[in-house]
Amino acid sequence: MDVLPDLTGAPVERGPDREMNVETDRILARLAACATDPLGYARAWKQTTGRPVIGSFPMNFPGELAHAAGALPLILQESSDPITYGHGLLFPFYCGYTRSMVDQAAKGDLSGLDAIMFGDHCVQLLGAADAIRMQLPNTRVIFFQLISSMCDPWTLGRSIESFGELKAELEEFMERPIEDEALHASVRLFNRNRQLLRKLYDMRESGALALSATQMQHAVKSSMIMDKAEHTELIEALLADVELHPRPRPEGLRLHLSGHFCQAPKPEILDMIEGCGAIIVGDDLYHGFRYISTDVNPEGDPVAALAQWYMARNTGVPCPTRVQNNVDWDEYLLKAISREKAQGMIVLMAKFCEPHMYYYPEVKEAFERRGVPHLLIETEHESMALEGLKTRVETFIEIVKRREAA
Amino acid sequence: MNVAVAKPNRANKLKSTRIAGGLVNDYWNMVWRAKAEGKLICWYEGSAINPFLQAADICWVHGEAYSAMLAARHQEGPAQQAAEDRGYMKELCSYARTHLGCAISNQRNRNDTDTGVSNAPDDSDLASKLPPPDMIISAYAYCSTGQQWDEMTSRVFGKKIPIFNVSIPWIWGSKKDARYLHGREWEESSKYVARQLMDMVKFIEERTGKPYPWDRLREMMGQVKRASELRLEAMDMCTARPAPASFFDWVVSIAPINNLPVGPEIVSYFQTVRDEVAARVGAGEGAVPKEKYRLFFDGIMNWNKVGWLAEKFAAYDAAVVVGRYTHMAFWQEPDLIKASDPVLGMAQNYLICPNNHSAPILIDLIMDLCRKYEVDGMVIHASRTCRAFTNPQFLIADAATKRLGIQTSMFEGDVTDESFYKDELLNSRVEAMLESIDARRMVAA
Repeated sequence: MDVLPDLTGAPVERGPDREMNVETDRILARLAACATDPLGYARAWKQTTGRPVIGSFPMNFPGELAHAAGALPLILQESSDPITYGHGLLFPFYCGYTRSMVDQAAKGDLSGLDAIMFGDHCVQLLGAADAIRMQLPNTRVIFFQLISSMCDPWTLGRSIESFGELKAELEEFMERPIEDEALHASVRLFNRNRQLLRKLYDMRESGALALSATQMQHAVKSSMIMDKAEHTELIEALLADVELHPRPRPEGLRLHLSGHFCQAPKPEILDMIEGCGAIIVGDDLYHGFRYISTDVNPEGDPVAALAQWYMARNTGVPCPTRVQNNVDWDEYLLKAISREKAQGMIVLMAKFCEPHMYYYPEVKEAFERRGVPHLLIETEHESMALEGLKTRVETFIEIVKRREAA
Repeated sequence: MNVAVAKPNRANKLKSTRIAGGLVNDYWNMVWRAKAEGKLICWYEGSAINPFLQAADICWVHGEAYSAMLAARHQEGPAQQAAEDRGYMKELCSYARTHLGCAISNQRNRNDTDTGVSNAPDDSDLASKLPPPDMIISAYAYCSTGQQWDEMTSRVFGKKIPIFNVSIPWIWGSKKDARYLHGREWEESSKYVARQLMDMVKFIEERTGKPYPWDRLREMMGQVKRASELRLEAMDMCTARPAPASFFDWVVSIAPINNLPVGPEIVSYFQTVRDEVAARVGAGEGAVPKEKYRLFFDGIMNWNKVGWLAEKFAAYDAAVVVGRYTHMAFWQEPDLIKASDPVLGMAQNYLICPNNHSAPILIDLIMDLCRKYEVDGMVIHASRTCRAFTNPQFLIADAATKRLGIQTSMFEGDVTDESFYKDELLNSRVEAMLESIDARRMVAA
């Protein structure tokens, strides 16, 4: 029997079609390599191009601006390294992302960055911004504060002002103007990249794609890191290859993954969930659909378009770090699950993530009212007792199956 | 064998601050009566927008103040339990958790109509007794929790309560012209907040259906300004040795300047406090009878532990003379308030809450206070669920050691959740710091 290679990482029977997916394997390996060593990629890119690298914090920095200015926009990632020096700068009751970022700064890991941009309103990130600026006196640390109240009469105007100030500060830093034409071109490239990644999402949802949750994470996360043109070429090639060699995806309980804003869930957790007999058919993770959900209008005033994008993406995929009284994250999730034909949801909450902790009871109550099963897993930067979590996930899957069978 | 145990030295608290207790009780009684008296009620957090509300005859409820009051009376348990029952986790801001617990208790009482028993809250159930809001105004500096807390309050009430958001930007201060109360960023942020406050007044007018009484606001801000000047004058007198009042006296005096009704009473209160402090300076009377050490307190208050901590430090002969929470907040720049046209000055005072400047500016201000009050050490309260305060604390400790050469000591506690407080840790760490101060003095001698 010929069985095509299983991209979920499960054991595969090798047969004559093996060569068909060599290209897919190569691309996935490249994406995984960049996703797991973002600063290494940035160093190599800088060495090759001689151009600056601008690190940014999640979740609303418009990479298009830095790209149009000729820099590599790199969304800074939580490191898998244990936190050591960082303990002397932030308390242990902060989220893993902020502690890891401060730790990386204290260890000198961020020294290859030419500038760092903060742009969000989360109290722990503000603490990290201060600590990082103190650790990197020779690195330009730019802060632009986006309005987080999303449905006020002045939200759009203030957002335009903020993006305009950011553009001006970038121009000053780069010592060159960012022309509208260049910005439009960057927007088109970024839109194309998002559209391709969304196509992967559509295919996963429909069952036409057999990528594991970890592989999907690598595809999106590497987009936050890599040169956008290079990444886009890789995703185009990946799509072409998987369309040429379609394979049915494995069977399992269809689940939606929710939560985890600033940092990517650890691959071992994703693998564990799928290893318990689930398949992930959709998500609203930042290192997932949240990041690619919305395109920027490629015409007209590009700064205004970025501000509109900022507002539209919160209406499209509501985020607990913003306040918007006229949209409901819980309703969004229930609709997403219905569309994805998911049978339940696993919520991944980064420990100490205050916005998520505030909103979680709304989600919990909405899901209980509708009778949609969900399981909350709190994740930590430090190692977690995976066996204990596995038992919980297995039990959850069993309960959902029995409930559906009843 | 009987062993005589020496009684520890007691804190010599200001007598005049007892008046604050009465004013606080009167205020909360007014709040609890407000619904029956047909008043509109506004819930708000963070910035002291209460004069805007009071002027318009709206009853104001400051969320932190309510949570702090519950904790100070050791009655925070039911509210925190109600919040936990709904799924709010213990790591969330305990001010918010406690206040959201009140909202949940309140909703539960209003909606639980099929029990066949009265839903009216028991008079001693202070969580449920808090009257529900007719409007919510969010005007929180620095901490993202503020807006999210208000948003969740709105959702607990089914999004039926009108809500207004004032966004107060953080002062990052990276430009060359950036200094405390100075620079383009400061000027632009001031105007931005002032513009929003004008829109907030329109929101208030829509709720009351009446033109906004600007004359009343102007009169009240004149009183706030005077009360603030008296408070700061009294604080300044605590550079004397021994210090006539302590950080804990100023903690007790927060409510009168922050959220009690503005009027001649608060001016009179701070005049009385100021006069008592002046009299103590004249008499050489200290807040700690045998002042041996002078300390800076960094961090927000442990509201369950105000008296407890005052006695604890007094027992060590340690006068906590100054703090970030008390000396860098609550209308602390009265000169910015122009009583005839107060909005810009109000906006600016909201912008200078003790956390809303980034670390370089904040640390300079703290170092100046440490020098001014000639402190020997710094005790740092790492409040577990208040990251707004804990954010720069390692940087502050580092600066205190390197720039001033003083000892620092950290302990973990919380604003209103007593379970995070570890008494023995505080004891051993403070004792170690004081011993270290002694050792340095011996070397210097």
